[in-house]
Amino acid sequence: MNKIATPIPEDLIRKMFRRFTEEEIIPRAREMDEANEFPRWMFEKVARTGAYGIRYSPRVGGGGGNTTQFCVMVEELARGSMSVAAFTAMQCLMGTNFLYEYGTPDHHERLFKPAIRGEKVASFALTEADAATDLAGVKTIARQDGDEWIINGSKTWITNAPCADFFTVLCQTDKSKGLRGLNFFLIERGTPGLYVSKKFDKLGTRATEISELAFTDVRVPFENRLGKEGQGVSNLMRMLGVIRAMTAALSLGLARAAYEHAARYAMERTQFGKKIGSFQLVQQKIANMATEIWASQLMVYKVTEMIDRGERPLKEASMAKYFASEVACRAADEATRVFGAYSYSMEYDVQRFYRDCRFLLFGGGTSEILQTIISRECGVF
Amino acid sequence: MNIVVLVKQVPNTHDVRIDPKTGNLIREGVESIINPEDRHALEAALGIKDRLGAEITALTMGPPQAIEVICEAVATGADRGILLSDKAFAGADTWATSTALGLAIKRIGEFDIILAGRQAIDGDTAQIGPQVAEFLGIPQLTYVRDLEVLEGKITAERVLEDGCERIEAPFPVLLTVLAALNEPRHPTVAGMLRSASERAPIEVWNAADIGAKALDVGFLGSLTQVTRTFTPKEARNTRHLEGSPGSVAAQLIQCLQEQGIRLGE
Amino acid sequence: MAVSIDVDKCNGCGMCSRSCPYLALVIEDKKAKWLEERCTLCGACLESCKFGALTGEMPTREVPDFSDYRDVWVFVEQHDGALHRSAFELIGCARGLADDLGQKVAVAVFGAEVKGQAQDLIRHGADRCIVVEDPGLAYYRTCTYTHVLGEIIRGYKPGILLIAATHLGRDLAPRLARRMGLGLTADCTRLSIDPEEKILLQTRPAFGGNIMATIVSRFSRPQTATVRPGIMKALEPDATRTGEIVVEELDMAECREFTHVLECVLQEKKRADLAAAKIIVAGGRPVCSERGIEVLREFAEAVGAEVACTRVVVEEGFLPVEHQVGQTGQSVRPEVYFACGISGAIQHKAGMDGSRYIVAINKDPDAPIFGVADYAIVGDLFEILPALTRSIKGS
Repeated sequence: MNKIATPIPEDLIRKMFRRFTEEEIIPRAREMDEANEFPRWMFEKVARTGAYGIRYSPRVGGGGGNTTQFCVMVEELARGSMSVAAFTAMQCLMGTNFLYEYGTPDHHERLFKPAIRGEKVASFALTEADAATDLAGVKTIARQDGDEWIINGSKTWITNAPCADFFTVLCQTDKSKGLRGLNFFLIERGTPGLYVSKKFDKLGTRATEISELAFTDVRVPFENRLGKEGQGVSNLMRMLGVIRAMTAALSLGLARAAYEHAARYAMERTQFGKKIGSFQLVQQKIANMATEIWASQLMVYKVTEMIDRGERPLKEASMAKYFASEVACRAADEATRVFGAYSYSMEYDVQRFYRDCRFLLFGGGTSEILQTIISRECGVF
Repeated sequence: MNIVVLVKQVPNTHDVRIDPKTGNLIREGVESIINPEDRHALEAALGIKDRLGAEITALTMGPPQAIEVICEAVATGADRGILLSDKAFAGADTWATSTALGLAIKRIGEFDIILAGRQAIDGDTAQIGPQVAEFLGIPQLTYVRDLEVLEGKITAERVLEDGCERIEAPFPVLLTVLAALNEPRHPTVAGMLRSASERAPIEVWNAADIGAKALDVGFLGSLTQVTRTFTPKEARNTRHLEGSPGSVAAQLIQCLQEQGIRLGE
Repeated sequence: MAVSIDVDKCNGCGMCSRSCPYLALVIEDKKAKWLEERCTLCGACLESCKFGALTGEMPTREVPDFSDYRDVWVFVEQHDGALHRSAFELIGCARGLADDLGQKVAVAVFGAEVKGQAQDLIRHGADRCIVVEDPGLAYYRTCTYTHVLGEIIRGYKPGILLIAATHLGRDLAPRLARRMGLGLTADCTRLSIDPEEKILLQTRPAFGGNIMATIVSRFSRPQTATVRPGIMKALEPDATRTGEIVVEELDMAECREFTHVLECVLQEKKRADLAAAKIIVAGGRPVCSERGIEVLREFAEAVGAEVACTRVVVEEGFLPVEHQVGQTGQSVRPEVYFACGISGAIQHKAGMDGSRYIVAINKDPDAPIFGVADYAIVGDLFEILPALTRSIKGS
């Protein structure tokens, strides 16, 4: 038997999800957006590919993939629908990661494994009315009472909350310790005192649902604290690079979709008896989009490569996320200009890109805060 | 039960464009994909495996990068994958291809069912299935849109030009299937990542491995040769048809007839 | 024996072993050894030995003498004794080829009772009609037909054999070709004789119709091709033509049939989806009326086409959404697309400009649809379509 090179796993994942996106997502993307609700059928379709377990070990039913492969997957999904990519990312990473690392065997059997099979929806609650990137401002309190925790407070802008079966919630256990007094807690839907608001009406990503959570004397067992006492923030920081790389990959997927639509249209649409793609000002837009997308791509996958080597490239991940999300917004904007009045029609997809790209500007940290972080990393603060 | 699924890697012909200046195919940027109908063949095999249990072997012949379709088949649920890859196989027509595939199937061993797509989108010949069946001396059922596996035999619904027939065949049997047969599943992430690893149950065989002689396979073993390729049709030359409705109708019917299209048949 | 090793000259240097891509030459006890079962006779080793120890002769490929293979044959497809429409087309095509070669056209027709068709085949251009009648041939079955056609070929040695590229023909031809060792070209749309070599040039579309390829069969006879129905021209029947009718008796017991037909359902054409349609008749805003849809449907029925429309027709409620072609509907690439009263907005063109031939009918001579049309008709679809329907029904 002769040997030949085995294929590159990233390429296989990309091909697989490119086709999945083209066959399953793109034909239904508009419909999902218009329905303005969580498409559970699509959530289950994605689940059947094993996507939600891509980052986790085959021992727990995962795919054993790395961050690069995870980002390739969400990039391809985002090319079809930012909503689908967003809830997939939540299910793969933030919603399940702490449960995977710190959950009990019972949590694994009852919640984690069903979640990566797509039988349960996971969510992650960090942001509060007065706290987001400013974690020290978290006011949701968990107080120990015997072998239970009693949780009080509220969270907002929680992706998947209206349909989630369980939440990983950042709470303060000891205000005096500042960031070291923060911990993650598992709260299951149906726990008395947990209130889930009705979903927000949003500009974009209309097929993911976002709402508020409120906790009034919510009692959870002691083992629902995910991680060692006081380690919440440091555990989160370990994941932050992946979150930003992933958000950058989502941005890349959307930018590519906007670019591809614009490039195709430029070669179809005629004005003054010529394809609009023959006009230099249109060519400039296409060239800029393509160039910036390439730059984003290099940044995103350089960062994921570093993460996969075991490094913690927080500065680079912040740069990649900042740059890629801005590129996505510019690409969506330029695409609408190439489409002219048609971009204003709900019949075309560019309007959806234009709305969805705004999600990228704040998810994973706003551009402004990221610039502050990058500058600080550069020694200027 | 043992099932062999024949798959092929093809260029996505939807992406194929012609260079307007040279008339050549532009292959750059054209994605290689698993032949669409072959996915339905694989799904049919997986369906049988789900219901009755089966050992599925995916087999393809192609250049080294065709390993991707074998990875995909294994990632979707095939138990084993074999790529026939050798310079000696290059340039094969359907005669030489069916020789290589037939020899490989003989080496795989016992089998009950061979499944393949009706035809591949790059060639559209639909010849490989019947030729492999004849090579192996087993019955063939082509254009299958429905099938049922029973004890030691299979019944299939074949699409005819003007209807369909239900037909029964004993094992071993070869079927070529239509897209209408089923809805193919996607591979899984875990399967894909495993298929790209060293542990994957995938083998690569060359001509010697299947006992083929250089003159039996590839270009040298082919009975037909391509002598010329050319672009069928230039940009549209709009022809204006004028006159009374009746005359315009007659002109149009005549024009299309000249292009080999007869309306109303 | 193709490779031999002179053990006296061999010093076991291993050069030959390294030259072999198949591990068919190994060094054992300091001498080269040839493993016949792994050798593919590729010839890679022949120049490798510096000591003259390895010699061999690789088989070469020769074109056999086919001088006793002649005439152009057509396999005639019939169902229940009725000839398939492709039969006359193939005979018409074969006639031209045979005339170029100075040979005859022969046809083979099998069935339970088909002798009565022979005269008709001769009138359409056949010189000779080989008839095989047997109750077992009433209904097409792969192995039975392969056996009978194979025996006929073996006996008569045709130079060329044409089979219609129908479902039946594409089931039969590859099976037959494999059994008889024939080169086979599928789904040809053009056939001609090479003026110098006197061989059959078989032209067919490939890569989804993006290119055409011309293929020859130099190494086997008959040169066999399946031919796409509806392309070749049948000859006008000529009642004065004469020909020979031969009834062949074959021993059907020799043929092994595996399959068993349980049921055959001939059905009315089901409503196919637009993507698979050969002909599509599509209407735009002007067909938004009961009368408009009726005119469209009547024409579509007459030409065996699927009905399609633009977005506005769906929105006005005249056709369900599965008929919509364009950016938000389906993309189609039929053989012929009739755009009736469609202005040709870019979102509609995006869904249909891959069609092989586009016929545009529109009142507005400046409608953008004419830019992508092969045939442009400036006029009212309510006059043009009924005229077309009448012409087709009348013919």
